[in-house]
Amino acid sequence: MGRTVPTVTCQLNETEAMLQSFRRTLRRSDQALLDGLLASARRHVAAISASGALLPFESALLAMLVEQARQIAALQQEISILQEDLVRLRDGKS
Amino acid sequence: MGKVEKIGWLMDVYTRPSGELVCWLISEDGQRWLLTMAFPVTFCVAGNPSVLRQAWRFLQGRGAGCSRQVRRDLFEGERTVLAVTVDLPGRLPEVYRRLAQAFPGLDYYDADLPLSVRFVARTKVSLVGRCRFETDGQQLVGLQPLESAWEMQPSLPPLRLMEIDCDQDPALHPPQQIVIRCAKRCYRFSLQPLRAFLVNLQALLRIYDPDVILTRYGDTWLFPFLSETDPLFNPNRDEQMKVEFRRERSLFAYGQVLYRGAQALLFGRWHIDRCNAALFGEIGLAGALELARVSGLGVQEGVRKSPGAGITAMQMQTALQDGVLIPAVKQQAESARTLSRLIRYDRGGMVYQPLVGVHCHAAELDFASMYPAIMVRYNISPETLNKKDAPAGLIPRTLQPLLVKRLALKHCLRTLDRRDSRVSELKARQTALKWLLVVCFGYLGYKNARFGRVESHEAVTAISRELLLQAKESAEEMGFSVLHMYVDSLFVQREGAQSEQDFIPLVEQIQQQTGIGVTLEGVYRWLVFLPARRDRRIPVANRYFGVFEDGTLKYRGIAMRRHDTCQYVAETQLDILQCLAQADDPRERWREAWALVNQRVRLLQRRQVAADVLQMAVKLSRDPQSFRRPSAAAQAARQLQSQGVAVRAGMRLFFWFSRQGVSVTPPGANELDWNRYARLVMQAAAEMLDILQPVREVRQFHLPLSR
Repeated sequence: MGRTVPTVTCQLNETEAMLQSFRRTLRRSDQALLDGLLASARRHVAAISASGALLPFESALLAMLVEQARQIAALQQEISILQEDLVRLRDGKS
Repeated sequence: MGKVEKIGWLMDVYTRPSGELVCWLISEDGQRWLLTMAFPVTFCVAGNPSVLRQAWRFLQGRGAGCSRQVRRDLFEGERTVLAVTVDLPGRLPEVYRRLAQAFPGLDYYDADLPLSVRFVARTKVSLVGRCRFETDGQQLVGLQPLESAWEMQPSLPPLRLMEIDCDQDPALHPPQQIVIRCAKRCYRFSLQPLRAFLVNLQALLRIYDPDVILTRYGDTWLFPFLSETDPLFNPNRDEQMKVEFRRERSLFAYGQVLYRGAQALLFGRWHIDRCNAALFGEIGLAGALELARVSGLGVQEGVRKSPGAGITAMQMQTALQDGVLIPAVKQQAESARTLSRLIRYDRGGMVYQPLVGVHCHAAELDFASMYPAIMVRYNISPETLNKKDAPAGLIPRTLQPLLVKRLALKHCLRTLDRRDSRVSELKARQTALKWLLVVCFGYLGYKNARFGRVESHEAVTAISRELLLQAKESAEEMGFSVLHMYVDSLFVQREGAQSEQDFIPLVEQIQQQTGIGVTLEGVYRWLVFLPARRDRRIPVANRYFGVFEDGTLKYRGIAMRRHDTCQYVAETQLDILQCLAQADDPRERWREAWALVNQRVRLLQRRQVAADVLQMAVKLSRDPQSFRRPSAAAQAARQLQSQGVAVRAGMRLFFWFSRQGVSVTPPGANELDWNRYARLVMQAAAEMLDILQPVREVRQFHLPLSR
């Protein structure tokens, strides 16, 4: 029993280890952002695994983009709510 | 004595040193029978015809009859084989060994099957099964089944039980006293003088004549000790037999090192060592009988071996009944394939990372025995792979009745009141069957399984992933959001859905779409999915705790589920969970929970906790000399070795944290490392509570500890 191909989690761990010198060279503030990006890919390991790609990091990058898009969508929604509130305040309808 | 016909139960079969087969039966009138039976056994050899002719000549004059037969190999189809028949079944291993040594290039079939499996397959009488038998007092001359192994309410033989217990763990201290319980009486004996103890034990065995001897450390200490001190002492009912001792061993299975202690097996009665029978603690005697009934493995064997041996025995029975040859050594190798195909198919079950945090009114849906159900429904078996419209394969036919029986037992349990006296027995039997079903999937991909093939193993996981995705899509179409999916279960939530009735349409929809049974495990009042310890932004699968609407608690992957957590720490987590469970939202009670933790830490600081609840446990992952760092496990192992205890990889060791490191004997209050235990309590509490409290207040309640 046992699998031949390493799991996506193992492969992501290896990729993160390989990126250590890249991470080290970044500014501390940017290091935190990189960590956040890498962590966001972990939310989609099932989808990355399902892609069956030879290089799963490509799918991981897509997963990071999905998370970014989700955050952008959430922020846009918040902005539109705030804008509506602003319009209401301006019109004196609070 | 003339011939008599009796109705009773077949308890066990074995061979005597002379090679003859003996059946142990209990008749309805309570009489115990040890009867010999003529039972010739056959094994087959295939290969180059000229080598087969040499093998035939080799066997002449060695007490084995030879004939030419055409038999079916599951993978290669019909083969011409040399069938070697031995009149005395106990002589088969020797004949096979000599032949295989002389002709290693031939293919051997049906050569190493457990005797009980052959017997059950041929006579159709299951072990512990009701039967009609005819005897002249010495020989069993007729045997007919009266009950199937798949009987939902099988009749039970009137078993006599004797329990033998010693006062100390012999690995740590030599026992001084033995307690024997039998027929509602309790006898306490000192081990010194030894002669008196042996006389008493023999007298009790003679008076009560037990069918089952339940011991603690009987395998690893009691019977080896008795045999060493008095070689004439014989606890068997069959006086022609001696106790069979099997050596201890460490093995690597399921990704971990396991330790199997030495074994002491009896004849004409069973010996079960609670400390050395892996499954017995969970399934008890009722489950052990069920395991023997359906698998055909003797009770003593079944409780000591992994469930994999049980499922293999069942596959062998199916093969024997179908006339399919059972290879002594697996012959199929994994077929060659491209890297992209390997990456595409070499994957496990679907694991969807959970949404970390607190979720109220979430439901858990489980596919019932998902993998075996897939094997049966999709006819997945090594010989049916890539074949359309193939007849039901060997594996699905083996699993079908098992699956049906387990689901029926589960259904029966659901209809009974919790206080019903039948519940514990049904639960034990259901659990025994569950373990067989759990391992049947792994055995498809196990490299040494007789009927295993990794491609069929992969087919099961591929179908399971597809079914889970279908379930997810159904849930999303019905407006549910999927919080987590884990191989065969999914957690869903929908605004306004709070009671079980709100989730039933989804259960029915998934069931209809996938064709596999789905059960609603329950609706959680609240459920918390925990993040990774190293980074709170990363979700972790199967690490959660929650409370169902009816107040039942459920937790996975946290400290109190781990075997190496000491009782005090586990109790702390349980207290926290019980405290949180009183609220509709756990975040409302995190302060109370922390107060409770502080109280437990204070008890440690005041040294008011008993040492026995602070005992740690660890399973040795390697032999003591292989440890490079002085970890707690390494220190405990070396201490035990210095006391003369034989320590092996896979053994479970117990120790306490002390000021000097660790101690394998309970240290005094001044010696215990109280601060270390306090830290363990804090860590376990933080594991559950950090996520519940506002971010700015996290860890605020951690107490400064002084050394």
